[in-house]
Amino acid sequence: MPRLPRFLILAHKDLRLMLGLGLGLVQTVLLGLLIIFVFSLSLPVGETMSGQGAAAIFWLASVFGLVLLFNALYHLEEANGVRLGLLLAPISPTTVFVGKALAGGALLVLAQIFFLIGLVVFLGQSLYGQWLWALGLVLAVDLGLVIMGSLLGALSQGQAARESLLSVILFPLLVPLLLGGVKLGGGLLSGVSIQDETQWMTLIMAFDALFAAVALILFPLVFREG
Amino acid sequence: MKVTPLISILAVAAGFTLVGAHLAIWLHAPVEATMGLVQKIFYLHLPLAWWAMLSFFLVFVGSVGVLFRKTASWDALAGSAAEMGVLFSGLALITGSLWARPIWNVWWTWDPRLTTALIMWFVYTGYLVLRTSPIPHAKRRILCAVLGIVAFVNIPFVFFSTRLWRSIHPSVITSSGGGMEPEMWQAMGISLAGMGLLWLALIILRTRQILIQERLDGLWAARL
Repeated sequence: MPRLPRFLILAHKDLRLMLGLGLGLVQTVLLGLLIIFVFSLSLPVGETMSGQGAAAIFWLASVFGLVLLFNALYHLEEANGVRLGLLLAPISPTTVFVGKALAGGALLVLAQIFFLIGLVVFLGQSLYGQWLWALGLVLAVDLGLVIMGSLLGALSQGQAARESLLSVILFPLLVPLLLGGVKLGGGLLSGVSIQDETQWMTLIMAFDALFAAVALILFPLVFREG
Repeated sequence: MKVTPLISILAVAAGFTLVGAHLAIWLHAPVEATMGLVQKIFYLHLPLAWWAMLSFFLVFVGSVGVLFRKTASWDALAGSAAEMGVLFSGLALITGSLWARPIWNVWWTWDPRLTTALIMWFVYTGYLVLRTSPIPHAKRRILCAVLGIVAFVNIPFVFFSTRLWRSIHPSVITSSGGGMEPEMWQAMGISLAGMGLLWLALIILRTRQILIQERLDGLWAARL
């Protein structure tokens, strides 16, 4: 069996722990579905929510999920000084960053499959056959989300009340991505083609690229002892 | 720490300049034809917003300084600039809201500059929350520096994304001067200068206070 790159070994380890122990993912899916269900109560009987409203709820559930997932992912190394072991391992901090981001991204996409089902069941939404566009949009926005989640998740590691600290810091920083996700996602859920919305896609991808570079530079400063 | 009269001089100069600014605003600048007297709030709103933005830039400068030099003074500068940024942008938001109510008939509306200011207020309030978190001192300094850099890099994205969404804000600074009379510009200039002097005095004062606080904490820890 060929040897996997180190970031993949790390992501594989995190995924096994998270899925095997039922950590993080179950809470994320439950919280997201609960958010979608509660928002469905705002609709009068027989009415359907607008595509933009449904997209906003989808991304809100995703961002809450992001906070839970990255807190759980970094929590894995908190007990018994395991973090020190990771720091002493012959891997660079950027490998840890990429491994965590990859594991977080995979778990977020898994949770979003349930959120999408929630949109169909509770909010009566449809993608009008634009599955590939929706997948592209979700992956582009998720990339930015997991980059920020992996960088700032390490920032709140080991803190008391880390969920609230991470939420307060992370949410406003993600606004550009969320606006793009809501605008384009709203279009898809309304049956409108998003092929002409190149400005939004450019903005989302520029966000991904710039913050990937920033995170790779800054992560070694965040993820260290002392 | 050496006591210098700089802060006192700046504070007195700020006081006199702000009195001059109010005289210019109420007696020199003409009443705006469409909006009437309520437009006078603009002479406070714009300087508050501009100095808030400069504060956010100073947080970035201080944060980069922390990562390169790791000294307490850069961290104190970033901390005081963040406090002033939150204070000034908060006041800019309140004055903007008071201005928007009679003109746009709403307390709040979606606009790129308005929304950017609000989001940056949230971002830097989060930064201040991190600064007050119970984290070991050296680590907190690095974490805050990282957040200070990420927050500043985020500003253009927030602005462009909110502008793509939609905009109704009046464009004040344009190549044609934004339709303001020369007397209005003069009043604005004095107000900007007065607010700037006040901002500078507060930044220096808070930076020194933070440094003194750290020194006292160090002395206290050494006694224990």
